[in-house]
Amino acid sequence: MELQKINVKVFTAEPKVPLTDFIDVFHGWIQATDGVYLDVADYSHMQAGPGIVLVADDANVSIDETDNRRGLLYSQKSKMSGSNLEKLSTVLRSALENCQRLEQEPALRGKLRFLGNQVEILVNDRLVAPNTGEAFEEIRPEIDFLARRLYSTTNFTLLRNQQDTRLRFNVTISTPLSFETKTLLNNLQAI
Amino acid sequence: MEKSLTWKEKIAEKMPAELAREIDIFEQQMELRKQGKIDEKVFAETRLRRGIYGQRYDNGQRHDGNRIQKLKLPADVIKGPDTLWDAPGMMRIKIPFGGLNPEQLEVLAELSEEYADGVSHVTTRQDIQYHFVHIDDTPSLMRRLAAVGITSREACGNVVRNVTACPLAGICRDETFDTTPYAKACSRFLLGHPDTQDFGRKFKIAFSGCQQHPCGLVTMHDMGAIAKTRVVDGKEKRGFALYVGGGLGSVPYKAKLFDEFLPEEELLPISQAISRVFARLGEKRNRARARVKFLIANLGIDEFRKLVLAERQKLANDPRWTAHLPSVNEQTEEPLKAGVSLNGGERPDGFDAWYATNTYKQKQPGYVAATVTLPLGDASADQLRALADIARRFVKDTIRTTVEQNILFRWISEADLPEFYRAIKAIGLGAPDAATIVDVTACPGTDTCKLGIASSRGLARELRYQLGEKSLQLDEAVKNLRIKVSGCFNSCGQHHIADIGFYGINRNVKGFQVPHFQVILGGKFHDNAGEYGVPIGAVPSKRIPEAVLSITEYYVRKRLKDERFQDFVRRIGKKEIKDLLEDLTKIPDHDVDRAYYSDWGDPREFTLADMGIGECAGEVVSQAEFTLAASERELFEAQLLLDAGRPRDAAKTAYASMVRAAQGLVKAQDPGISEDENQILAEFTSRFYETQLFWDKYAGGKFAEYMFKAKEFIGAGKAVDADRAVQLLQEAQLFIDAAHDCHNKLRVGVASAVKLDSIAQTSA
Repeated sequence: MELQKINVKVFTAEPKVPLTDFIDVFHGWIQATDGVYLDVADYSHMQAGPGIVLVADDANVSIDETDNRRGLLYSQKSKMSGSNLEKLSTVLRSALENCQRLEQEPALRGKLRFLGNQVEILVNDRLVAPNTGEAFEEIRPEIDFLARRLYSTTNFTLLRNQQDTRLRFNVTISTPLSFETKTLLNNLQAI
Repeated sequence: MEKSLTWKEKIAEKMPAELAREIDIFEQQMELRKQGKIDEKVFAETRLRRGIYGQRYDNGQRHDGNRIQKLKLPADVIKGPDTLWDAPGMMRIKIPFGGLNPEQLEVLAELSEEYADGVSHVTTRQDIQYHFVHIDDTPSLMRRLAAVGITSREACGNVVRNVTACPLAGICRDETFDTTPYAKACSRFLLGHPDTQDFGRKFKIAFSGCQQHPCGLVTMHDMGAIAKTRVVDGKEKRGFALYVGGGLGSVPYKAKLFDEFLPEEELLPISQAISRVFARLGEKRNRARARVKFLIANLGIDEFRKLVLAERQKLANDPRWTAHLPSVNEQTEEPLKAGVSLNGGERPDGFDAWYATNTYKQKQPGYVAATVTLPLGDASADQLRALADIARRFVKDTIRTTVEQNILFRWISEADLPEFYRAIKAIGLGAPDAATIVDVTACPGTDTCKLGIASSRGLARELRYQLGEKSLQLDEAVKNLRIKVSGCFNSCGQHHIADIGFYGINRNVKGFQVPHFQVILGGKFHDNAGEYGVPIGAVPSKRIPEAVLSITEYYVRKRLKDERFQDFVRRIGKKEIKDLLEDLTKIPDHDVDRAYYSDWGDPREFTLADMGIGECAGEVVSQAEFTLAASERELFEAQLLLDAGRPRDAAKTAYASMVRAAQGLVKAQDPGISEDENQILAEFTSRFYETQLFWDKYAGGKFAEYMFKAKEFIGAGKAVDADRAVQLLQEAQLFIDAAHDCHNKLRVGVASAVKLDSIAQTSA
């Protein structure tokens, strides 16, 4: 299985920030870069929807509310090279870097905190990775390795939502320990 | 684990062969465009006719509020004039009469996740749209749709668009008869029909089961049919009041009555005849006047009718005209459960309010249709999957999208409604606001549309929020008003037929651009879009919510007993309302409050710098150009066959590509040229070869002779080795190049027989 279109969602603590506040933040990011981001899509009117999406050619960054759980969703779109582990760690790192950037935004400082103890990995391609046990077993060693590095421990669980095979392939890595995004990023440097 | 399968391989057996072939062809056309072998305008119209539309910023630049940024997108390939290949676009998917089943909902959900931004958007013409789609993903997207019986073919471009129909058709208490089978037949018959391929603009068709209700919006369509019956020789006969030449746009036209009773068997032939007249006489150059409404206005309805009826007489009988008629009386849908009335069962919190606004008692006892209101027409993938589950639990394949951007579930046993309500409420879709002032309709506007001036969705979102909070306190007379918002004057949000309509405009205030909305009052959604509203004046975008409150409060205070909003607007007159809104036209200076100088949900200082050239009008591409492009595609296919080790098939396909190019040239002079090979060759020979119009200045008739020799060779059935096939492919390429040259010369009017002395000189 050659993974592409890897998505990573990092959940936030209790949402204190109105969803629409992220619109201004993302527009600020657009102004601060040079043509990387294409647009901001506002789905704040939807319940448990895609939230606010910062669209780019390479990867979207969104404040996603799927399952009524807010988090930063980093959606890799362009094709990646390297091993599956390399791709997974690259996308995870990008997601965490965006979390850190958001935490440091002046308008959000003190109001936004990411829960480092849970990360959801999705593969947005049902052809490559259907949401099946077989696919999970095939991918599991890489995710397991990634989780060990991410949390510097074996005290974590991998859980696939197997109730609905229509969903995209997904695995949630959880640990009872608590982590800050900065620590997680440092841990990932080892890969 | 399947590792190497593509979607094409994986679902090959699920796709209807014809649809699969069409998508293969489009994929080849994409490849040819990347190689620069299809003209950008031809490709633009080609992709539009597959539902692939441009989107804001696809020219590769965007104003970020301070400056215009050049977007980091590869700029070496374009998919249309000033449209970058890699820029995300919109994909429109046709849903004829809005009909969907659970399996289709599931696939739509999957595709929105994998190829768009996770949202399926219901349009004001019952389509589904995705945004932020990469064109490279569209063949797989189309194949997965085809596998569940959906096509995006002719969802955009200068063709017959989605055929819409009243979502209550078949269950409506007031309908004359169920128009569903007719809408379905019309949609199938005109899809890809040769007579609908050469329009100057789009052509929209709608069906309604009755005159008085709004659902079909017949009179704002290019062609609209309202169900009628008539007693002939003691027997009830079905037919339609047929209307033509309606349309919104910047200047709305109400459709004119073409025939007060068109017998059902004449519906399709007359549609075909109308298409032929429109294709032949409709404006092609001036796109602003190319809709059929302008042709009818110019000719007059009587002359137009005369021309259509004359055209009808010329048509050879087509068995498809009446193939659907034997089954139109059969009920097309079945309920899942027996119809049982509500009868005092337990009612969850919020149920009664929802029941009052979102349900409709069907004519079939014990059954109810329920509207699931989608905020701004948007549904997430999870919501669509949940709706598919809900459909399987309560109904069968009886789901329809509506022109008010919602989804209607039909054939729910009334006793199931409390459970149905719980289920939709659990996914955030239980709002009690269908057909109310809160359920605001809006086109995409500046969110994604290249033509958008102001943020229609931003305004609609704000109005939904503000009015939703007040909905319980709103006067009943106000509660049922409709608000519709368009981002520009082109009326995709259908503002002309709303009680309170808005369309986006720009106004200069002390040197600053300020988003405004033109206020249109008194349009009539009922009576099939019975009246268009009156423009009142421009109000700054950020003051529109106040304007809505001001207008509605004034209406409640000043209306006569039971006076409808339309009558109220016309009675008090434009001046009085304008005076009412006068204070709201003013905004603080820029240095006092900059909020008024940006749009809803968009902190950037307002500018028109991002507006582009819309693709609503498509590209006017002649049939000759399309056919020449098709010849290129066939030659490409020949190369693939050769690469696959099939030289004989490659040779035959290369020859076919030459015949196709010859047909393209003939089409430039005779659009009615048949598909018959011998006739094409005869016409090509007499029109282009013998007249030397096709001759090259230096090569003379050599390229045409390649085709003639290829015909002999293929006809002789000789063995074809790879070398001979390669030669044939090269000759076919030269022939097609020569056909393009000849067509270009014909277009600019310089084609003439070449002088033979030049041939003699080069030969010497």
